[in-house]
Amino acid sequence: MASTSLLPAGDFRTTYAADTTIFPTVTSRNCAIAGVVLLCLAPYFLSQYWISLLIQIGYFGVAALGLNILVGFTGQISIGHAAFFGFGAFSSAYVSTQLGVPAFFAIPIAGVMTALVGLIFGLPAARLKGLYLAIATLAAQYILLDFFSRAEWFTGGSIPASAEPFRLFGYTFNTDRQYFYVVLAYVVLSCLLVTNLIRSRDGRAFVAIRDHYLSAEMMGINLTKYRTLSFGLAAFYAGIGGALYAHYAQVVSNEGFGIERSIVFLAMIIIGGVGSVMGTLMGTAFMVLLPEAMEWISADLRGSVIDDMLSFNNNIAFLREIAIGLVIVLFLMFEPDGLAHRWRQIKAYWKLYPFSH
Amino acid sequence: MRGMMLLRDVSLAVLVCGLAGAAQAETVQVGQLADYSGGTADVGVPFGQGLIDGMAWANKRGGVTVELDTVDYGYKVPRAVAQYKKWTGGDTKMPAILGWGTADTEALTGFIARDKIPYMSASYSAALTDPTGKSGKTKPAPYNFFYAPSYSDALRAMLTWAAQDWKSKGKPGKPKFVHMGANHPYPNAPKEAGEAIAKELGFEVLPPVQFALTPGDYTAQCLTLKNTGANYAYLGNTAGSNIAVLKACKNVGADVQFLGNVWGMDENAAKAAGDAADGVVFPLRTAIPYGGDAPGANNLKDVSKNSDPTGNAYRPVHYVAGVCTALYMKEAIDWAAKNGGVTGENVKKGFYQKKDWVPAGMEGVCKPSTWTETDHRPMLNIDLYRIRVSGSTDAPLPELIKNGTIKLEKVATIDLPRKPEWLGW
Repeated sequence: MASTSLLPAGDFRTTYAADTTIFPTVTSRNCAIAGVVLLCLAPYFLSQYWISLLIQIGYFGVAALGLNILVGFTGQISIGHAAFFGFGAFSSAYVSTQLGVPAFFAIPIAGVMTALVGLIFGLPAARLKGLYLAIATLAAQYILLDFFSRAEWFTGGSIPASAEPFRLFGYTFNTDRQYFYVVLAYVVLSCLLVTNLIRSRDGRAFVAIRDHYLSAEMMGINLTKYRTLSFGLAAFYAGIGGALYAHYAQVVSNEGFGIERSIVFLAMIIIGGVGSVMGTLMGTAFMVLLPEAMEWISADLRGSVIDDMLSFNNNIAFLREIAIGLVIVLFLMFEPDGLAHRWRQIKAYWKLYPFSH
Repeated sequence: MRGMMLLRDVSLAVLVCGLAGAAQAETVQVGQLADYSGGTADVGVPFGQGLIDGMAWANKRGGVTVELDTVDYGYKVPRAVAQYKKWTGGDTKMPAILGWGTADTEALTGFIARDKIPYMSASYSAALTDPTGKSGKTKPAPYNFFYAPSYSDALRAMLTWAAQDWKSKGKPGKPKFVHMGANHPYPNAPKEAGEAIAKELGFEVLPPVQFALTPGDYTAQCLTLKNTGANYAYLGNTAGSNIAVLKACKNVGADVQFLGNVWGMDENAAKAAGDAADGVVFPLRTAIPYGGDAPGANNLKDVSKNSDPTGNAYRPVHYVAGVCTALYMKEAIDWAAKNGGVTGENVKKGFYQKKDWVPAGMEGVCKPSTWTETDHRPMLNIDLYRIRVSGSTDAPLPELIKNGTIKLEKVATIDLPRKPEWLGW
């Protein structure tokens, strides 16, 4: 959360508007725009495998962004985020197939539905803090999972629910390359919305609660309202992420929304940087790419000289799982402030190079 | 300059011809999703090894050489999806995939139908058996295949047997049936189908009893069984938690005939559960267990030598099922190669070519299976076996099998009618 100002000497802010600008410098704004443009071109030069990974980073990233509002900006905790992600996926599948709403509208509707559910489960947050709140959100996780397997009208029960493909003006976004743009649009939109939220009155209230809830209350901030609202917003983004996933896979099954996925969401924002929008995306990318990278390494290792010498055979799979865990632990030990912090340091290094002192 | 261009064109042409020539040498890559490290690794390891050994053996016998690209995805949906994209999105598109569990199969159903890639899973949910969606019970799954009775059909067969068993024992009154398992898609898949046929067969259906997918203390569940007087109980979970239930119920003294599901019982589970597993009835996907007597039994031993040159290893039921699964896939690919080339669509057609199909060399090992364009239920003739455990199960498994401490005993063969209303359910 430590942020170092990188403003060049002599660049004073003379207005409040300048003080709350999203991009501190013109270059950083241009870089961000260039980055988005570059991503728009990605489907033309990346293989489908990479596109699918980017899509994964996209829909998990949107959901993780929601969790970051809750954890990073409001200082609450949730270990039930995956269930909201799942609820969004099922809602969108339900709204699009059962009610016949086009996927274009089904995604935001699913977000709103999930937000309402999030508000309900956020009610305990008005009274609970810390570990107690963690357990309350754990309950949300299990209640929702149980709901998924029982509410056959909604989820299909043991038969997976199907979701309509994304269509716009009669044009179907069926392939990964096409769907990539849908996800990209949502990622950009979500990032802009969250960044702006933090600059708003409500966003400042969140941060105030995080920094010291008692002081915040004494300053007239309605704790109950903002804590619950934070849950609702977190669930909203989880729902959007889930809906994006639903229309990507076009099949939603009860599997994969368990507690382990919730923990992975937490890992994403902790590794990326708690309370940082860009860090969220970085952390998501890290958590999506790490197992893949380990798979590349283990695929190379399989049948190699090292494998023959140490006769790993099937144990490579276990080594890979251990390595994934180990990398995460080492990462947290040496990068406790997350990727966003490291990124700022790298930027600072080059900005000040070669006179860093 | 022109000469250079010509040279380039010629070399390109040679390269292309060379590539085409290589294609004619008939080597295809097929993806294999395996779970060696995730939640279902206990059964994923023998099944995966069965696929690998079966394919290696079949490759030696000729036809198209099928190279398996085995990837352990740890039973994680996002990894399965990413791996699938890797297999299908690059320059080469794999003509078929050997998949694994409920999680990956369901997540990929939509993609494989769109990309037209036959996907042979080890998830036997009845929802995957309706290729056209005509049954109206589930959405069409035209590219999903599996070699086994569906979970629902296996339970129907076990209940049909249970009704006979009850009669033959001459017990009075209605038998009581209870469905046990976690509230999860996998144990729930055959629940309605089972309870429906149980009622038809004259069972009293008790409220389902829940237990988690992980081992734990299930004394409470067993006391429920005992107090409600259940006579037949379906164990819907995978082996680990089923073992815990069997042990707890043995301690409590519940007198129940357990019906195991296809992934819920095997030789390793019997060894782990010890005498608590004695008497459990479960469906066998193959005509014989490993070491049984059949024309193809020696070939099965040859298959096993691929990963165990000594030939001493004992292979659990999942291994043999894996071998059969691989061989069906291989023969479908061979058919496709002779009939227009190995593409997903042709491999799919390859599955429809034979009635009561047994892979060559596996007579009496793999059960005759039939897939048609409107019905992907390969077998409705279901063999039920009973686990017999006599004595301590501390010794290694091959020894226990050899000296008969753990035995698979055939109980019955149930012929279910191919009812259209059971398709996809």
